[in-house]
Amino acid sequence: MKETGREAATRVAMEAIQQSGFAPQDIGYTFVSNCFGMAEHQGHVGPLINNGLGIPDTPSVTLESACSSSSAALHEAFVHVAGGFADAALVVGVEKLSHLDTLTATSYFAIAADYPFETKNGATFPGLYATLANAYRQAFPTKDEMFGAIAVKNHANAARNPHAHFQKEISMETYLASPMIATPLRLYDCCPFSDGAAAVVVAAKEFVKKPVTEPLVFRASARSGSVTDMQDRPDLLGLPATRTAGAKAFRQAKMEPKDVNFLEVHDCFTIAEVMALEDLGFFPKGTGAKESAEGVTARDGKLPVNPSGGLKAKGHPVAATGASQVVEIFEQVNGLAKGREVPKSETALAHNVGATGGSCSVHIFSRR
Amino acid sequence: MASHDDLPSAPHTIDDFVKGYSESGRLRGFRCPHCGLVTATWGLACARCGKVGLAETELTPRGRVSAFTILHVPGDEFLNEAPYAYVVVDLDGGGRITGWMSGVHQEKELKIGERVRFEPSYKPGVQFVHEAEPAAPG
Repeated sequence: MKETGREAATRVAMEAIQQSGFAPQDIGYTFVSNCFGMAEHQGHVGPLINNGLGIPDTPSVTLESACSSSSAALHEAFVHVAGGFADAALVVGVEKLSHLDTLTATSYFAIAADYPFETKNGATFPGLYATLANAYRQAFPTKDEMFGAIAVKNHANAARNPHAHFQKEISMETYLASPMIATPLRLYDCCPFSDGAAAVVVAAKEFVKKPVTEPLVFRASARSGSVTDMQDRPDLLGLPATRTAGAKAFRQAKMEPKDVNFLEVHDCFTIAEVMALEDLGFFPKGTGAKESAEGVTARDGKLPVNPSGGLKAKGHPVAATGASQVVEIFEQVNGLAKGREVPKSETALAHNVGATGGSCSVHIFSRR
Repeated sequence: MASHDDLPSAPHTIDDFVKGYSESGRLRGFRCPHCGLVTATWGLACARCGKVGLAETELTPRGRVSAFTILHVPGDEFLNEAPYAYVVVDLDGGGRITGWMSGVHQEKELKIGERVRFEPSYKPGVQFVHEAEPAAPG
């Protein structure tokens, strides 16, 4: 990304506001998410974005919830609007890390783990998810190709997404030949460090004017937490926060997994997509990898998962990722996802995890 | 109104945990007197039952590996150690702890369920080494 984080955030925010049919002056509150402002020597970015939008008097706040930061910001905007504190609120997620070397970027990421108890013990994020993958494979024999099928599928989707970091397909041979990062995870099991920005306008129904595009309707906005450290989790076969946030969301929406047409899930590593689908209740525990390998989650499958390409291939601009999932759902619903349309897009679910599941957001949206 | 002295405090600091790994060679932990949870993570209240007031305990420095990975791309303080193993260990006396093992280069050199022993080290973190299976009784 050539732009600074601040420039990109302001640009996508203006675009989202214009699409929504509002003027910047209609925004009552700006919720910004940004994890690594220090990488650009820039904190307190909310007022700078608002200045750039011509609304310097509008209040703003920056939220951090690791990789789930912008879905956390979305939830806060939802709560703010639902509570009547604003007619409309702006959510902007932004991250820029590409100017850092890999080692520096990795060490920035590692601060979101439990630093004295995990990072100082040699853990990295790939290492933590690899440990979960190892426990999963012990309980449910999983061939390398089953994880590989998820990477191949998400790259195939990203190849059709002009917003994606990696707009290229990969073959199973390329996957299998890629270097080991942390057993059993190879390079192509891991999401990249990405730059990016994404914005969403949240408004109360009665204040929606004449949007340029069809708005999404919130069916659920749920968040959950869980014990952070692996050493305090009795069960390593899934993420407890996904289970609780998913259950809350389905209760709020009065829906079941079968009511969802497609999903954007948090696939920071291929194992994470498997666990997400199981923990959210779409597949029984131990069957998610097999179902994925059989094509059920392909873009034209029975349950399309990550038509954007997911974190794996669309990219993982940490604090912009959650908002970017909503953008994909929005584009699918509005027929803007040209060349990567899912067969049915009435109802979609977005799942976004902070670190190894200390935080989790689940949102469900429907077409109006 | 409660005086400052009545506020709960942890049995020891995070730094005491970390120093235990190397200087004193002890695996220090907290135990919940209410539900019995044994943890190797700092806190003021029990992460399982929520009751305030954890007690100091010493963890058994032996156990079995419950999950692991071999890191080929290391964390920034482990640059000269890769590949090494990152391990989750279920300790014999209760409690689960994460640590690492030097010199374990390949997946086949370690198995889930294998016995390991805490080895105090000047290097960072909780270092484990392989331990022989105890002889079968009789």
